[in-house]
Amino acid sequence: MKKETKLKIKIAEAATGRYIENRRFTIQSLAKELEITPKQIFDLFPNRSSILRYYYDSRILIYREQISSIKEYSTFTLSEKLNNIFLSLLDQFSEHREFVLLTYRDMVGSPVRSSAFEKLFKEALREIFQSDEQIATSAKILQNRFLYHAIYLQFHGLILFWKNDESHLYENSMALVDKWCALQEEIFYSKIVDKGFDLGKFLYYNSPINFTTSCALTAKRSEA
Amino acid sequence: MSDFPSSKYARGKIFAKTGLKVGTNYATHYLKSLANGTNDKSALHKKSAEQVFGEFTKLRGTALKIAQSFSIDQGFLPEEFSEVMTQAQYKVPPINRSLVRSIIKRELGQYPEQLFMDFDTRAIAAASIGQVHKATLHDGTKVAVKIQYPGVRDTITSDIALARSLFKRLVSDGPQIDEYIDEVKNTLIHETNYIREGESIDRFHERFSSHEVVTPQWIPDLSTERVLTMTFIEGVHLDEFLNSSPDRESKNHYGQILWNFFHKQIYDHEEIHADTHPGNFLFTPDGKLGVIDFGCVKSFPEEFFMDYLRLLPTHLHRDEPAIKELYYRLGVLKADPDTDEKENQYYQFCMNFGYTFAMPYLEKSFDFGDPEYKKLIRGYTKNAPITNEPRGNKHFIYSTRVHLGLYHFLMKLGAKVDTEGSQKVVEDVLSDALNDE
Repeated sequence: MKKETKLKIKIAEAATGRYIENRRFTIQSLAKELEITPKQIFDLFPNRSSILRYYYDSRILIYREQISSIKEYSTFTLSEKLNNIFLSLLDQFSEHREFVLLTYRDMVGSPVRSSAFEKLFKEALREIFQSDEQIATSAKILQNRFLYHAIYLQFHGLILFWKNDESHLYENSMALVDKWCALQEEIFYSKIVDKGFDLGKFLYYNSPINFTTSCALTAKRSEA
Repeated sequence: MSDFPSSKYARGKIFAKTGLKVGTNYATHYLKSLANGTNDKSALHKKSAEQVFGEFTKLRGTALKIAQSFSIDQGFLPEEFSEVMTQAQYKVPPINRSLVRSIIKRELGQYPEQLFMDFDTRAIAAASIGQVHKATLHDGTKVAVKIQYPGVRDTITSDIALARSLFKRLVSDGPQIDEYIDEVKNTLIHETNYIREGESIDRFHERFSSHEVVTPQWIPDLSTERVLTMTFIEGVHLDEFLNSSPDRESKNHYGQILWNFFHKQIYDHEEIHADTHPGNFLFTPDGKLGVIDFGCVKSFPEEFFMDYLRLLPTHLHRDEPAIKELYYRLGVLKADPDTDEKENQYYQFCMNFGYTFAMPYLEKSFDFGDPEYKKLIRGYTKNAPITNEPRGNKHFIYSTRVHLGLYHFLMKLGAKVDTEGSQKVVEDVLSDALNDE
């Protein structure tokens, strides 16, 4: 990760704390806390709101950094990869829970306004699905922007669940992620439709009740 | 060579076989009466039993623990029931690798790749309440990291509630079954506290780590109530050891260490490793016995413990008045067996089984590989009188599990062990108790 990106993340994380103390905190107070100059902050962010929004965008950057440090990541199944993105984001949100609960809906969860976080999140999902070789051929037609949007909406649902989760270290939210991802994997790895299509194709070309096939067979036989 | 059974053991086997016939007849009679519906509510009980064991399969991890607690996995039930119990429970699927990372992050504050030099995300063992991963600390120490499944404590409470209602449909003595279930529940809940287990690891390491036994060392800085880190013990489990075709000497060597470990615990009797399951012992390359998993550690009340030990000499001497007195104290008998036929059936079965169980303490050494003895023990455990009426002190649940587990392990290993020292241990502990009284 670049030095500049690291500094941007540090500023954004510090800003979450400032925001909880005072929603109208000044860039000067933030700079003072981080022992840098306000100019250094303004060189990276145009205003306070962009710093706070960057907190969310940077979670995906940290997630990407994490997966590069997991040795066996390429061997993870679809469920494990989906678990990983969801849990990585939840782990990070847990560290700034109060800020996330206060700002998530406005900054990320708005149904009308698209965010950079949304774009990055969907891009990460697209990579997970497209790099998975175990997904059934028939399920590949489901891999489109509607799927990624549906999963994004489910992530909003997870945040809502996590908000009300009173279990030890939010383990019920973890359990929900696990069960939901396991179901996704079952759906996308299932070869039922592939096999059904294979059977249908076989019957279409070989069944005696198929008019086209039986005519072709009769013609072939008479030629012979 | 004469066929006359000259040794105490050979003569003992004759007694044991006779006793087994009585037990088998009783069990057959009981099962037949269930099938024919000749007993009161018998058809209902049979149906309930099937339902209980069918429902158990839904309980997954907790079911395995309950099954282990009641020694169901050690052949204490007829095959038709125990088969249902053993189908799925031993194969607990491991939790996914991303969840493992996240649990460690939440419990220990950092992801495994930051905490450890190396962390194997694939579990080396998956059991009922958690799974174990191999890792290496930054200083090169190899460790085992045990991770508890999320929400397992809540699952225990709800699963035990389900088990309680199912058992109550099967048995007639409600209050006593509550005692048993509470005992299992409390033990299971203790098992979910990994700090408690870490402290047990420390105590057992202090007491038993020697030139013969190796136990792990707890690493408190990398442990919480739900994640437990301890030093890793290299070694193979019983099945793998047996697959390597070991010679008789090696089998006897490891068998003797296990036998001595068990009796040293009797000698101290402060805390006992109450999970004598083959998965909890390792045969190390340097000839030591590795003892792992200290989640189920029990401290029995002194009075029960002494009475339990007294069962050994009283059965060997077939001292019936003393046996009866012990059975009353331990809740095995509820009425006089001389006047009550049902009590007499219990009494005969327990006395003969007790005698068979005490046989290893008859002579200077005992061969657990003797196929006839295996057959006898299996015969008793398979034909135990299963009724809808629970019997015996609640502490029998774990004392029997330990003792029977030891016998099953040694029988599977086929070890011949020197038992003279252990007879002295039992005598000494009992005479000390007598002096204290």
